[in-house]
Amino acid sequence: MSPTQPRLYAVAYIAFAVVLLSTLIASPLWLGAAPLQMQFDARLAPPSASHWLGTDALGREVWARTLAGLRLSFWVGISAALLGTAIALTLAAIATLSSKLDALISLLIDTLLSVPHLILLLLIAFALGGGTQAVIIAVALTHWPSLARVLRAELLTLRHAPYVCISRSLGKSRGFILLYHLLPHVLPHCLVGALLLFPHAILHEAALTFLGVGLDPNQPAIGVLLADAMRYITAGYWWLGVFPGLGLLLLVLCIDRLAFTLRRAL
Amino acid sequence: MFRYQRSILLGLTAFCLAFSNALQAKEQLVLAIGGEPEQGFDPLLGWGQYGSPLFQATLLSRGQDLSPAPELATAWSLSEDRLTWTLTLRDDAYFADGTPLTATDVAYTFNAASSAGGRADLSALQEARAIDRNTIELALKAPRITFIDQLMTLGIVPAAERENGYGDHYGRQPLGAGPYQLVEWQEGEQLIVERNPYYYGEPPTFERLVFLFTGEDTTLSAAHAGQVDLAALPPALAANLPTHMQRVVMESVDNRGILFPMQPASGERAPSGAPIGNNVTADIAIRRAINLALDRETLVDVALHGYGRPAFGPADGLAWSHTDEAFEAPDLTRAHTLLDDAGWELHADGLRYKDDQPARFRLTYPASDTTRQLLAQVSADMVRPLGIEMQPTGRHWDEIQREALHQDAIVFGFGSHSPQEVYYLFHSQHAGFGFYNSGYYANASVDHHLDTAQAAANPKAANQHWQAAQWDGETGYGVRGDVSWAWMVNLAHVYAAHRCLDVGELGIAPHGHGWPITANLQTWRWTCD
Repeated sequence: MSPTQPRLYAVAYIAFAVVLLSTLIASPLWLGAAPLQMQFDARLAPPSASHWLGTDALGREVWARTLAGLRLSFWVGISAALLGTAIALTLAAIATLSSKLDALISLLIDTLLSVPHLILLLLIAFALGGGTQAVIIAVALTHWPSLARVLRAELLTLRHAPYVCISRSLGKSRGFILLYHLLPHVLPHCLVGALLLFPHAILHEAALTFLGVGLDPNQPAIGVLLADAMRYITAGYWWLGVFPGLGLLLLVLCIDRLAFTLRRAL
Repeated sequence: MFRYQRSILLGLTAFCLAFSNALQAKEQLVLAIGGEPEQGFDPLLGWGQYGSPLFQATLLSRGQDLSPAPELATAWSLSEDRLTWTLTLRDDAYFADGTPLTATDVAYTFNAASSAGGRADLSALQEARAIDRNTIELALKAPRITFIDQLMTLGIVPAAERENGYGDHYGRQPLGAGPYQLVEWQEGEQLIVERNPYYYGEPPTFERLVFLFTGEDTTLSAAHAGQVDLAALPPALAANLPTHMQRVVMESVDNRGILFPMQPASGERAPSGAPIGNNVTADIAIRRAINLALDRETLVDVALHGYGRPAFGPADGLAWSHTDEAFEAPDLTRAHTLLDDAGWELHADGLRYKDDQPARFRLTYPASDTTRQLLAQVSADMVRPLGIEMQPTGRHWDEIQREALHQDAIVFGFGSHSPQEVYYLFHSQHAGFGFYNSGYYANASVDHHLDTAQAAANPKAANQHWQAAQWDGETGYGVRGDVSWAWMVNLAHVYAAHRCLDVGELGIAPHGHGWPITANLQTWRWTCD
């Protein structure tokens, strides 16, 4: 592979992601009330020219609900990813301040990584009473340790870099060194980490909602669509689950590839 | 020679396997017809109130026309002052451990149930006395017309003082004189029962029944895989059945509707801590308008896929309900006028307001119930053009009890073979206790009619008062009176049954708890070889 290939891939993925995400973000402008619009005379209609991806049990268009669901997933994913990254960066930065704090945070990271995060996710989401905020907080609180470990290692290495040592010998404070010398170097890692966390967040939002402790079942979220589809799948209404599932796969794949390519490019 | 021997042996094995499978199919039925009772199979705590107690026998049973028929009691009479029931027991009734069932057990059951605080309401019972081995006398504190329903629903348990008598673990290890005895119960998974060899009636056809406790979608998957012989299905899933199964539809008085909180929110809380009242639904104009906006035929079509009928009261078609409660709906024009006259102004955001109070409230339903979810979503859609926003909200039952029970409109379901349920639902004495009158409905005239019905001399006289409680020309709990509910639909219970299973002539089912389809279990037959 030539050195320019990763950059080309990155540009291609960015372009695709921009198109997809722009479509999702702008979708309320042209979707209107379509995701909630019931058509009682077209219930459980299979995909056709008049109903592109079919309709659900209340005659609502699956394509409109899938788009609305992906949009909701996107916002939940981006919020959870940013919050998770912020937690990881903050704790990694604190770990550089003293060896005791470093030991404490390392212990916390190891402890959280040793617990299956789906169990933690369920417990936190349930304790917070479900809903969008609960899902965002639950995903963020369970997904920061991996990124925090990477950032901590990077910051600890940088702490002994010559320019940091010079700055320290010139009498600069720990806070100054952290803010002006260390953090700017790990921001690209944060960007990639957030992008890698994003698909996890989306998948976990769908999983939590599917399990009944996530988003409101009356919202057109992907987890809700998949949970509803489960009830009908054995009765032959395949389109209720296949299209939202494919949409989720596409979104997750797009973000994941983008993050992977960026990581390699950076 | 050896080759032939092997072929013969293989053939014999295949024949034996096929024959044993056929035998097993005849002797064992696998049923997935609903959930299990949390409190166990204890009649003193409510088991059997909504269907056949299976393990226990009752004093009387209910015929197809809902009239009383002999069961453990072969003769029964009520004294002139309507305060004493005297019943004569059959002398061939035995518990599943082979010990005889006597009047002592019956007296114990009734006395214990009256103090147990379960679903069996024996508050009218003064005392149950065993006169001799086969004669029992039930003395009442006051005449109560619905007391006979307890004779038809309360399963008899063995007296505590006898060997294998009633104890703390009875619900998990029930002993009764019913057609079946419990073999194994794995909570949340399955229940296995076998024929009671001492049952006094005609032995049931099937030696063993296995009840599976599965979710709606799992039940259908199991039916498709040929793993169940009878499966209860939500109407939405009843369209596509596997070829080896047939659809069985059981008519019911099992209704679904919206129970409104009747009191305004004043900060008051129930003894459970749940907030009481809702400022929107406390307004009768809102309740009337919602009733007028609901297109019940469409609700039946969409939420029940046609398996049901519109509902206008808690006991449509039964003798204690008015026959003329139905009205023309949807009628949005009338509903708009009602709301305008009541001061609910339509604003630019499409919502009505009165004194800055938006016409918005939660419509809560148990999240695990597909049918109630559909009813909530569709009814909210029907009401929205009026400027009233009902917000469908799925919650777990625990959460409903803790938070929503007295302040949210709730999609509830009831339906009983007894007018006692009407008493529970609308008498102010029951306000705030359990699920029945959770909206804190109270009307002195309605209370009076309900009390008069309970004290009536006979069912016919009582029915007039039950009907008057619904609407007496001036007031009532029904849609012409206080509009305490918006009844939506009466369900038909839909089952997928193996083509070889003949479930006989089914009666009219009450509300779904307690496996009502098993009421005629003794008449079920396997029609294939």
